[in-house]
Amino acid sequence: MSVRYVPVQWNRIKWVYDGLLVAGVLAYLVAFLQIGAGMADATRPVDGAILRMRAFGSCAFFLLTVILCIGPLARLDRRFLPLLYNRRHFGVVTFAVALTHAAYVLGWYFAYAPTPPVAALLSSNTSYGTALGFPFEALGAFALVVLALLAATSHDFWLSFLTAPVWKALHLMIYPAYAALVAHVALGYLQDVDNPAFAILFGGGALAVAGLHAAAALEGRREARSAGTWVAVCAPGEIADKRARIVRLPDGDRAAVFRNGARVSAISNACAHQNGPLGEGRIVFGCVTCPWHGYQYRMEDGCSPPPFTEKVPTYNLRLRDGVIEIDARANAPGTPVPPLDVAGMI
Amino acid sequence: MIGAEAGQDGGADLRCGRRMAVRRGGTAMTAALILAGQVYLWAGAAVAALFLTWGIGRVEPHARGSYLFRPLLVPGCVLIWPLVLWRWRALEQGRDAGCARHRPPRVAQVRIGVALAVLVPLILGLGLVIRQDGPRERPPALLEAAQ
Repeated sequence: MSVRYVPVQWNRIKWVYDGLLVAGVLAYLVAFLQIGAGMADATRPVDGAILRMRAFGSCAFFLLTVILCIGPLARLDRRFLPLLYNRRHFGVVTFAVALTHAAYVLGWYFAYAPTPPVAALLSSNTSYGTALGFPFEALGAFALVVLALLAATSHDFWLSFLTAPVWKALHLMIYPAYAALVAHVALGYLQDVDNPAFAILFGGGALAVAGLHAAAALEGRREARSAGTWVAVCAPGEIADKRARIVRLPDGDRAAVFRNGARVSAISNACAHQNGPLGEGRIVFGCVTCPWHGYQYRMEDGCSPPPFTEKVPTYNLRLRDGVIEIDARANAPGTPVPPLDVAGMI
Repeated sequence: MIGAEAGQDGGADLRCGRRMAVRRGGTAMTAALILAGQVYLWAGAAVAALFLTWGIGRVEPHARGSYLFRPLLVPGCVLIWPLVLWRWRALEQGRDAGCARHRPPRVAQVRIGVALAVLVPLILGLGLVIRQDGPRERPPALLEAAQ
């Protein structure tokens, strides 16, 4: 397939998604600045720069909280999948908001330090041995560096160049970054804030992330336990013609079971190009077509039609008591598997 | 009494001196860290210049003839240049593991997610336990209306 890289791949849905995202961020910042000033303690008035610093900092925290909720929500309920596919733009916006927060911190507290502002921030408090008075700024700096790393490697090129395992391993750093961010707020602003509203929102958001990840892990474990080598998919009639049913396999991989008329075949759900969700695509001109970039594969062997050379793994299928079952052990990419004939069952 | 006060002052001086020494040590370490970071980023800039003008077209067919997106890759190249060099070398030598492309580390992701689910409540609890609330004699009140 010949898809050249472009700076940003936008379509109508992504424009709407990004528009709502930016509007949401702006609405939060305006609301925080308007309401926050009014709720400030009369005996300890907050300077405008500090208020803006807190507005951007708390906005970045809540954005990252939403980002981390999307993954487990999509695993628990497929209706959240559209949120998952545009999450990279969400991450880049979060980095921009967090960077603005950091710029306010350096510009307000360390502008007149005798050393460079970053050096002053990291060396002004070195009480790493105590919880009370812990230099929470370093935790925020760590989270910001990770956000920068992830935003800088969010282009499709990086997924293809580094390969999915390396890229994904790199992006798993978001988890320690979030833990550091929770600690940054818990040991910093939470120690000072008098208004319980922020503490409730902050704690509720962080616990939602923790709870959803625990629930998604339990759900995955339950599925893995109930499945053997052969995993039940569904009755043939439950798969719409030229569409697929996505199956989660015991090892965590996903397969896409496609029906083309009376023939059913299964291939990996991950496109060879950039791991797009093949199971959410459809069959066009007899080939499974990736919804992301239009890469195509033949159902029966997982190979792209000539002259293209991409291949994805295939899976063996069988029928038992009117239900399609899939062999959880994937075949090597490009292995031919005869389609299952389901004539008379649809 | 005077001696005791003198002793106390001497102890305070010692503690103050120790604190200053710790702070000087922290500043020196921070300066060294920042210098190391600067060297790392300059090396990354050199790798980015070389890779994005010459190497990328050799190892990534979809990047050939496509230039507009390359400036977007500069920050990534600067930050993860050791990984860029490693992948560049692997692709130049034809050592790309095709099958691995289909196996992102989902198991590790679940484990890290569970670790986060345990860690977050602990951090929140710590933050609340160490919190020191000030005296609650009387709620503050604004004595005169804002001008």
